Amino acid sequence: MANVTFPFPFPDHLFALMPEIFVAVIAMALLLFDLFIDKDKKAITAYIAIATSVMAAVLSVQAMMPTSVSAFYGFFVLDHFAVLAKVLICVGTAFGMILSIDYMKKEANIGEYYVLMLFSMLGMMLMVSATNFIIMYLGLELMALCVYVLVGYQRDVLRSNEAALKYFILGALSSCMLLYGITFFYGVTGSFDFATIGTALADVDANAHTAVMLGMVFIIAGLGFKVSMAPFHMWTPDAYEGAPTPVTAFMSIAPKVAGFAIFIRILVDAMPSLQHEYTTILTGMAVLTMAIGNLAAIAQRNIKRLLAYSTIGHVGFIMLGLIAANADGYAGVMVYMAIYLFMNMGVFAIIILMRRDGIQGELLDDFAGLSRVRPGYALAMGLLMFSLAGIPFLGGFWAKYVVFMAAVEAGHLYLVLYALLFSAVGAFYYIRVVKYIYFDEEKVAFNFTDSRLMQATIVLMTIATVALGIYPDPLIDLCKQAVVGLI
Amino acid sequence: MIELSQYLIVAAALFSLGIIGLFLNRKNVINILMCIELMLLAVNINLVAFSHYRHDLSGQIFVFFVLTVAAAEVAVGLAILVAYYRTRRSVETEDINSLQG
Repeated sequence: MANVTFPFPFPDHLFALMPEIFVAVIAMALLLFDLFIDKDKKAITAYIAIATSVMAAVLSVQAMMPTSVSAFYGFFVLDHFAVLAKVLICVGTAFGMILSIDYMKKEANIGEYYVLMLFSMLGMMLMVSATNFIIMYLGLELMALCVYVLVGYQRDVLRSNEAALKYFILGALSSCMLLYGITFFYGVTGSFDFATIGTALADVDANAHTAVMLGMVFIIAGLGFKVSMAPFHMWTPDAYEGAPTPVTAFMSIAPKVAGFAIFIRILVDAMPSLQHEYTTILTGMAVLTMAIGNLAAIAQRNIKRLLAYSTIGHVGFIMLGLIAANADGYAGVMVYMAIYLFMNMGVFAIIILMRRDGIQGELLDDFAGLSRVRPGYALAMGLLMFSLAGIPFLGGFWAKYVVFMAAVEAGHLYLVLYALLFSAVGAFYYIRVVKYIYFDEEKVAFNFTDSRLMQATIVLMTIATVALGIYPDPLIDLCKQAVVGLI
Repeated sequence: MIELSQYLIVAAALFSLGIIGLFLNRKNVINILMCIELMLLAVNINLVAFSHYRHDLSGQIFVFFVLTVAAAEVAVGLAILVAYYRTRRSVETEDINSLQG
């Protein structure tokens, strides 16, 4: 008993985990603190939660080292890629909360709503830093369980409940598939660590081939569910339409960033020797995803549903970065997610303002004639829609440009031509929204209850989208630097 | 002596039953929750079998995490289902149809 050494190099490890610990502590304290706040002052909880998300982003940058830091016996890694993903996640969550303040004001127990968002953010932050399937799974579930509840937060609204139920069932199914895949990788390699699995899979004997393939297919399917790749996209339209609009905005950004970040890490670290096989599968899925997303969006009358299919379409384009499987491709994924964050948050902020006098304001008809009442919002919506369509010299154009170029470099010319075709199809329904705003007569009277906060968000997002369109180089360079340590 | 492959076959059968039950189920949402549990159990059997076969404990440790998360997942799932039942007054799968298009 004399020589019991404490096997825990204490401060270093905790330092790498600082942002997560901070968020966890504040979220739990806030849950308690919220009980002591008067009902009409619940906005305080929201502001604390927003400040926490911003602080978490700052702390993530602060904790960053010149090289990657591995903590907790290699279960957790803090590299530039993880930090970039965490900053995007925290910013996305912060804007999701900002959009919620007015929209969710009348809900009961609104304090818990922000705490759930913080916990979900914590899950995502853990997930993007995971180097081990156990941590990845725990982060993923922490995120997913919170998002299920957030989707169903309007407990007396049927479609919110139904969306939560559908999202929960398919989300749980996807987790099972992911886990089932992980078990096969564990069986073949005897480890849950990405890097160990990657090395072991490189020289696996031939009769384990089936198990490896099963594992790979199930893992791709499970992760594909989370980022809504076809044919695992069915939950997306229902969950997006039924969820409260700020939650839709949140879940169209932050979980997607986390999903793609961990997808990249798994492909790079755990499956490098399976590159030929996974590119084949992902190519097939990307072809399907682009087609379904962009074609189904044309038929939509509800803008949240339209944006759900638009997200699926964008996921198809982002997948080109995974298929390219080179540094530029992975950087492209992050560039795409960053620009998509600004575009989508702006669009959803405008959609939230459309709720008026007992109507949801989500039908395309509800936007008709907006330009005559509020030319400012109309202009912002127009710019954001053009950007989503990928019209040159707005942010969305560069997002597509970077991933498409990476895919061309990797020799996927035909796939990029196919993507360009569907990008043109996508432009049709985005521009149709602009047509409603500028050329149609007002059908439902506008009655705006906009706050300064929402206006500021819309202005900020639009300016960011336009500015990134004119001068995207800093963002692209940043993302390229972030993926250097990854490969 | 029971071999590894036999455990894997049982797990695969359970997993397939879960998926089939999930998609062919026309009656009740509670059944869906049971199917999800079945799939998680298949995962656990796989993990324990591989862990024993490889003489490596990490698989069994993962089982504890999976069990814990599964409990949390069912808690959230049932809560969502109760909220749904309060507004819709039904847990039939056929009635989950207000969101379409």
